Amino acid sequence: MSMEASELQDLSDDADYAASQLQGSASMMRCDSEKRSLSSEHEGAELIYLKDNVAIHPTQFASERISGRLKLTKQDSVLFLSWIPYKGQTSNAKLSEKVSLSFLDRSLYTITAVPFTEVRSIRRHTPALGWQYVIVVLSSGLAFPPLYFYNGGVREFLAIVKQHVFLARSAEDANVFLVNDFQSPLQRTLSSLELPSSLPVASGQSTYPSDGGSSNDNNQGRTSAGVDNRVSRFSQYGPRKHKNHDPTRDLSIHLLEKFSLVTKFARETTTQLFSENNGFGSVDKRWNNQPVHNYDEKLSNIAEEKDHEGPHSYPEKDHLNDEEIPITVDVPADPLEFNKLSLVWGKPRQPPMGSKEFTAFLDSEGRVVESKALRERVFYGGIEHQLRREVWPFLLGYYAYDSTYAEREYLRAVKRMEYATLKQQWQSISPEQAKRFTKYRERKGLIDKDVVRTDRAFEYYEGDDNLNVNSMRDILLTYSFYNFDLGYCQGMSDYLSPILFVMGDESETFWCFVALMERLGPNFNRDQNGMHTQLFALSKLVELLDSPLHNYFKQNDCLNYFFCFRWILIQFKREFEYEKTMQLWEVLWTQYLTEHLHLYVCVAILKRCRSKIMGEQMDFDTLLKFINELSGHIDLDSTVRDAEALCICAGENGAASIPPGTPPSLPLDEGILYPQDDDVL
Amino acid sequence: MASAGNKNINAKLVLLGDVGAGKSSLVLRFVKDQFVEFQESTIGAAFFSQTLAVNDATVKFEIWDTAGQERYHSLAPMYYRGAAAAIIVFDITNQASFERAKKWVQELQAQGNPNMVMALAGNKADLLDARKVSAEEAEQYAQENSLFFMETSAKTATNVKDIFYEIAKRLPRVQPAENPTGMVLPNGPAATAVNSSCCA
Repeated sequence: MSMEASELQDLSDDADYAASQLQGSASMMRCDSEKRSLSSEHEGAELIYLKDNVAIHPTQFASERISGRLKLTKQDSVLFLSWIPYKGQTSNAKLSEKVSLSFLDRSLYTITAVPFTEVRSIRRHTPALGWQYVIVVLSSGLAFPPLYFYNGGVREFLAIVKQHVFLARSAEDANVFLVNDFQSPLQRTLSSLELPSSLPVASGQSTYPSDGGSSNDNNQGRTSAGVDNRVSRFSQYGPRKHKNHDPTRDLSIHLLEKFSLVTKFARETTTQLFSENNGFGSVDKRWNNQPVHNYDEKLSNIAEEKDHEGPHSYPEKDHLNDEEIPITVDVPADPLEFNKLSLVWGKPRQPPMGSKEFTAFLDSEGRVVESKALRERVFYGGIEHQLRREVWPFLLGYYAYDSTYAEREYLRAVKRMEYATLKQQWQSISPEQAKRFTKYRERKGLIDKDVVRTDRAFEYYEGDDNLNVNSMRDILLTYSFYNFDLGYCQGMSDYLSPILFVMGDESETFWCFVALMERLGPNFNRDQNGMHTQLFALSKLVELLDSPLHNYFKQNDCLNYFFCFRWILIQFKREFEYEKTMQLWEVLWTQYLTEHLHLYVCVAILKRCRSKIMGEQMDFDTLLKFINELSGHIDLDSTVRDAEALCICAGENGAASIPPGTPPSLPLDEGILYPQDDDVL
Repeated sequence: MASAGNKNINAKLVLLGDVGAGKSSLVLRFVKDQFVEFQESTIGAAFFSQTLAVNDATVKFEIWDTAGQERYHSLAPMYYRGAAAAIIVFDITNQASFERAKKWVQELQAQGNPNMVMALAGNKADLLDARKVSAEEAEQYAQENSLFFMETSAKTATNVKDIFYEIAKRLPRVQPAENPTGMVLPNGPAATAVNSSCCA
């Protein structure tokens, strides 16, 4: 039985999804050698198009480019796209460690025989000045890096694609060409997933366009390489008809699987390239054993520094440092092949938005004309520090996007008076009254204790009699009167500190904090409900995006995810240095892709550590310690990019894993905001 | 793993007590011999481990440091469940923190492991001028409730190692054999810090 057939059959049964994931990845590995021979068979396919000097820029710098050859091939009526970097490029260079690693990078971007059935669209960029490029977007929503046509020829490339697959210009953007785009979005997805027999179930109608004959052919051929279409198709889809499925759920699962296939193809080619090149023997091994991220090295260093328990404690540790021994022995493969996620990326991070750029988002009276565009800009690059004071109030919801300069000025004046009134409420409490007001004394005591130990090493709050520390105390005490039901809770000062640092002004800070607490207040609820909902959603996301890791947590009694409690309660405030925290928060606050990006950030970090967590068989205690010690060792930019990719990858199923009303979504029930189920503080 | 003639004991220990009583500071002093004037509040929980050599055995403490605020009370059972020992910490300059400590003692007596070794720590003993809870009062309470009591100062390190050492001595000598771990240390009367680790 072909690997593919078994995989699909397994996936067709929701109940056994988790098990099938394991099985699927196992059969992947077993078929490794077989597939290699199959993919060489693929080389015998009909060559449709060949273009030299097509390059990828792995970084933003034009000087760093990887040139290669773009090919279109056709086999069994299916059109495949490949891009192979030139091998010769580094052969003259001295094989220092650095160069060979860059060769590794080079090969990471290899695109091997991606069938057009997996391509959703092609975006072309043909500027009058500068190089032409195309971006190939996959059905999963992820995209390959731009392919630059150094000798021109994007138009010709698209013309040739059009001869072989159904290519339609997008109504929304003339530069986007949709591949296999049929009438309804559902059918489009189905067609790109090649589930023809599911069509009637899903939509109850079959409306292929009359000229879609060739695309129809494409739909049938989900061949990775040389597998007989008809046979595999029947064996795959035959039994499906008898099962009743939620088609949307199947779809999302398939999207994930597809994504994993693409990356697996790439890895195999890379391996081949290496084994063909004698100069890279050692690199080859390291690559096969999963590349050791700098990140992971850092982690293992922590473990080594902190642990002197001898052979008993970390059996996997030696393996990390020993290229000869594969470290993947006992760790179930990542269904998303996460370590190669950089192969397929979202948008690279941009430099932070500056003042001029922000002004361009405003009309003459100061309204943000397109709030979504602004949020997108902040999502992908953040904000220059001096500008944060102007933009954060929008992101937090204190300013309305459609307010004018004048309206905001008025708002600030009104709110300043309102703040003074609120502050007056506790300031007017005399010592005699305080004696008879236990709750007030307790709250004040708690706040006093916390403000003097919040970010005191940070310049803005350091030193004795620091006025900013006093402001923090006044704001928190005022807030505990403004929202007496919620009161003060540990963790709030962590949220307040960067806001005060950015806004400066006490009243403005207070109202920004109020706006933030509208969404995150439930984190501090007495019944812990807001936290439980988020931890539950996190467990669902891990189940969806990394079922082996989920199973591991399940087997080790870690499903409550309390080891992520601090991450979620104060949104990573204790995990990053101050500036990085502000960068992360403004990205989260945009709510650009989702309101719950922070949960995908959790998944991204966990996935980065998955082989360590499972390889070292961490129990709950060890895991909590490990997670706490990650503080200061997490790279923000790559984590946010991973989170973005995971969010896109999870798609609708990801959104469905997060119950409505999960913070920071606004509460569903506006009735009782903060239930009082005990009478303490 | 345990070689003949040596007892290697793993002991789960939980720190409980009011906000700002000095739980994290005590652990930090014990595990890393450090003191931070403005130790940040603990969010959720932190886990540390530290090994002590006590007479004929080594005791590896697996220490759970918890958040003090009443609102996080509901999480506490997760941490004290199965604990072999507890240190209930109060601040000698704060009467309310002593009252809170009593509540923790009651809860552990009702819910905790019946053989749990409990210690009461009157922390911030360096702040004599600000004392609100007398040593006699605390000592008497401890005796009535079969705890042992020590006044500690994480700041000056007074009695910090000692309180852990005292707990180690009182732990049941015979431990279930299924989880012997930790490394064998040269015997010595002094408590020897071996394995340190810390969480933020």
